[in-house]
Amino acid sequence: MINLLALLVQRTKPLTLKQIRQELVGQYPESDTAARAAFERDKGDLRALGIPIELMTLGGDQAGEGAYRVDRKSFELGDLGLTDEERSALQFAMATVRVGASHGDEALWKLGGERALNAQSTSLNIQLDDQLMATLADGVVEHRTLKFSYKGEMRSVDPYGLLARAGFWYLVGFDQLRADRRTFRVDRIEGDISVGDRGSFSRPKDFDLQKAVPTEAELLAEGHGDDAVATVLVDASLAGGVRTQFGNQAVIKEHADGGVEFAIPCSNLTAFRVWLFAMVDNATVIGPPRVRKQVISWLTEQAGGR
Amino acid sequence: MAIRKSRRGPRGAAERVEGLLVMLPWLISRKRVKLSDMAKQFKLSEKELMNDLMMAAMCGVPPYTPDALIDVFVDEGEVVAEVPLMFSRPLQLNSAELFALQAMGSAALSMPGADKKGPLASALKKLKPLLPKGDVVEVDVKAVKYLPEAQHAVSAGQFVAIDYFSPISGTHSSRTIFPRAVFEQMGHWYVRADDDQSGEIRNFRIDRIKQFTPTGKTSEPIIEGIEAEVDFFGTDMETATLLVRPAALRLVETYPYISREPQSDGSVRIELAVGSQQWLGRLLLRGGDAIDVLEPAKWVDLGKHTAQTVLKRYS
Repeated sequence: MINLLALLVQRTKPLTLKQIRQELVGQYPESDTAARAAFERDKGDLRALGIPIELMTLGGDQAGEGAYRVDRKSFELGDLGLTDEERSALQFAMATVRVGASHGDEALWKLGGERALNAQSTSLNIQLDDQLMATLADGVVEHRTLKFSYKGEMRSVDPYGLLARAGFWYLVGFDQLRADRRTFRVDRIEGDISVGDRGSFSRPKDFDLQKAVPTEAELLAEGHGDDAVATVLVDASLAGGVRTQFGNQAVIKEHADGGVEFAIPCSNLTAFRVWLFAMVDNATVIGPPRVRKQVISWLTEQAGGR
Repeated sequence: MAIRKSRRGPRGAAERVEGLLVMLPWLISRKRVKLSDMAKQFKLSEKELMNDLMMAAMCGVPPYTPDALIDVFVDEGEVVAEVPLMFSRPLQLNSAELFALQAMGSAALSMPGADKKGPLASALKKLKPLLPKGDVVEVDVKAVKYLPEAQHAVSAGQFVAIDYFSPISGTHSSRTIFPRAVFEQMGHWYVRADDDQSGEIRNFRIDRIKQFTPTGKTSEPIIEGIEAEVDFFGTDMETATLLVRPAALRLVETYPYISREPQSDGSVRIELAVGSQQWLGRLLLRGGDAIDVLEPAKWVDLGKHTAQTVLKRYS
């Protein structure tokens, strides 16, 4: 395969299969059928590596005959002008942000860099399986429709983007089954993913990946509850975390014992419950009365009934 | 694409060719590299690398005279490729590699303390024409207090006094730790450190550290790379089997599970490792009537008891 590639790269003129076989003596079987099959296999393997072999139709004495060529520009990476310092920065960042078992390393090698061999003091784990990353990347980068099973249903999704948040990867795209934009947690995709043709869809120009997957804080505000904001007293032990999540603008009052009253969105009462009870007995809803009553009602029901 | 795709067994011909097309330009740009270093870099044994290089050295263009072959050889333990005949330029980046670069760039530049005008930013700027247009890949990195300080403590070999809150016991403890690594997992940042209180190496969630004060004592830094996901559960941890109705699936499925069996009514039977009774009680409280404990019997009423505890705050 390397000899075939070298030959097609070095020769300035396209070569017919007959000429290729004459040049690569002994490398293809003598039988025309077997030689054709072996050549097609090599061609397919090279295409899989991102090296397209062009087929052209000759004129003149060889009119109508097919000939093959490889344009170096079609598969070689141009000089990006990266400095050694920039390559080192990429190497350090790739070692810190663990995106996948090998694709990051391979990108570094192609850019002339090296994978880090020393232990790194900081690491961010957002790993995807090698094969899964390749499939999803084909989808989002090359605009290929993905087909997969999710919650027991086959989905056909035009993938607009992938977001890693709080330990999970989310695929956002247009779900043809629901005829609407949907978010899929990647680790919940069941079985293999099949990949459609390149350029199967166009991504909407106004698409915003960050906004497509609401944060927990945003989820709390997405609802139709009677009250939009609740006042929650959080004990000193957990107040710092709530302050980080909602910002200083959410602080209503700081108590002498370190407890803090926060203004927390609660339009989505189900999400509010999940958020509030994560703090168990380290937080209390002070108001408004309707929300406090609802919290007490949930607790009373769970404490007495089950 | 990989230099070694399969972890075991011989690599196929296409895989070896693929590897060579990545290794040759990398080698040509360096001219001479120690065989052992190159093998380590590309995750090959020295024998595998030698075999690949010998295969490359026999390839070229007709008439296959020495000057028409790929000029690569091993000389006194060094791989040499000083006269590039062909394959001196690397292959273009494929979709997965572009994806990896964009994800890495998004994450690295949003980490606390990232230099947005430094060499990483300028490298990504040069790569921008190659990267997919639009924000097709993004990584949310949570900022937490004391993360930069913890990173610095690792590299500086600092002993640090911390005030740590344990939600399981609801108590604060004062400890002196010697940080070895900082890592993010499942959306939370941790510092892995020698802990004077337990005498063991422990992982502390950084957002639960209330005070982080270097003691002034330092030692030779011990940097422990976190190569894979840390197993917080271990093998001797208790398990619980839950029946989770759809309203609580999103909540329960944010935790690693041991088994998951969908039921005909839309609910899912999920077996989880349970870090502590308090942790499970909290999960049951959050899920409300959408979660039942099936096993073990001792935790069937745990949600009820946890709700009773919280209700006391409202009385």
